[in-house]
Amino acid sequence: MSEDQFKTRLKIAKNKAKPRKSPKNEKSSSNIGTAFKMSTELVSAVVVGTIIGFILDNWFGTKPWLILIFFFVGVIAGIMNVVKSAKKMQR
Amino acid sequence: MAANPMYQFNVYRIGPEIKLGEIDISFTNASLFMVISSLAVLIIFNLGAKKKSLIPDKIQLLAELSYSFVSKMISDTAGSKAKPYFSFIFSLFMFVLFCNMFGMIPYSFTVTSHIIVTFTLAIFIFIAVTIIGFIKHGLGYLKLFVPSGVPIILLPLIVVIEIISYLSRPVSLSVRLFANMMAGHTMMKVFGGFVISLGIIGGWLPLSFSVALTGLEILVAFLQAYVFAILTCIYLNDALNLHH
Repeated sequence: MSEDQFKTRLKIAKNKAKPRKSPKNEKSSSNIGTAFKMSTELVSAVVVGTIIGFILDNWFGTKPWLILIFFFVGVIAGIMNVVKSAKKMQR
Repeated sequence: MAANPMYQFNVYRIGPEIKLGEIDISFTNASLFMVISSLAVLIIFNLGAKKKSLIPDKIQLLAELSYSFVSKMISDTAGSKAKPYFSFIFSLFMFVLFCNMFGMIPYSFTVTSHIIVTFTLAIFIFIAVTIIGFIKHGLGYLKLFVPSGVPIILLPLIVVIEIISYLSRPVSLSVRLFANMMAGHTMMKVFGGFVISLGIIGGWLPLSFSVALTGLEILVAFLQAYVFAILTCIYLNDALNLHH
């Protein structure tokens, strides 16, 4: 390998190793990953919200109310999760 | 016994019963397959890293390819600041991938098709990422829950929503892996059962489905390990580069 050849290869390798200023969250290769991500995010936020409501209800003894409120807050959180990842994808 | 499609997820004890106080910590088939996959990862990468020849042989090529694959994934999703966490994400990815792939061997056991395994991994990542966030940003990490440009009246509601969506991360991370693996393996067993019950005349259609499903399952096994690792990177990115 001549010295010139080596220099160009070194340059290419250095370019590759250069840290990127703004990390891109989604690349085209991981689009299918995002699809999987969104489907469960919607559900899991609802589940977590309901569990939090259930625990708080047991603490404060306000049986049906907090679980109802937190269920709907969980639904909102789930929708926001999906909207957020959709926005990230479009960027 | 074998006709039940859920039978493959049975956890049973291998060897003597070991008890730690009230807790049963006996060696099960699940532990066996975890040990097998971690040993396989260790052996393959030790062999791959041993030679360091300029022209790699197959096993070294495998090790180098997976190294550059994970390294590229981390720098793409979490930036250069996440480089110190490479070893953690790499071992996580390899462990999940090998568990999934060993599950594809007939008569083997899929560790990741149990929610407690995936949830343990996910809650560990969640706690680690939270601690990293607090170490890097101090109390400023709480700004993650307060998006900028929200009217002050809506703020309490938004903060509650953000906290719920933050807490839902380990759940969604673990449920995705577990559900995909369990559903896929159940489906394969169900179609396998169809082949037997329909016999030599009608059994060809479900058999062809089975073949296609096996291919799909191998794809899913890889993809879910990839998604698991990439989401860890994304959460790490949130903790390291705090922005909205």
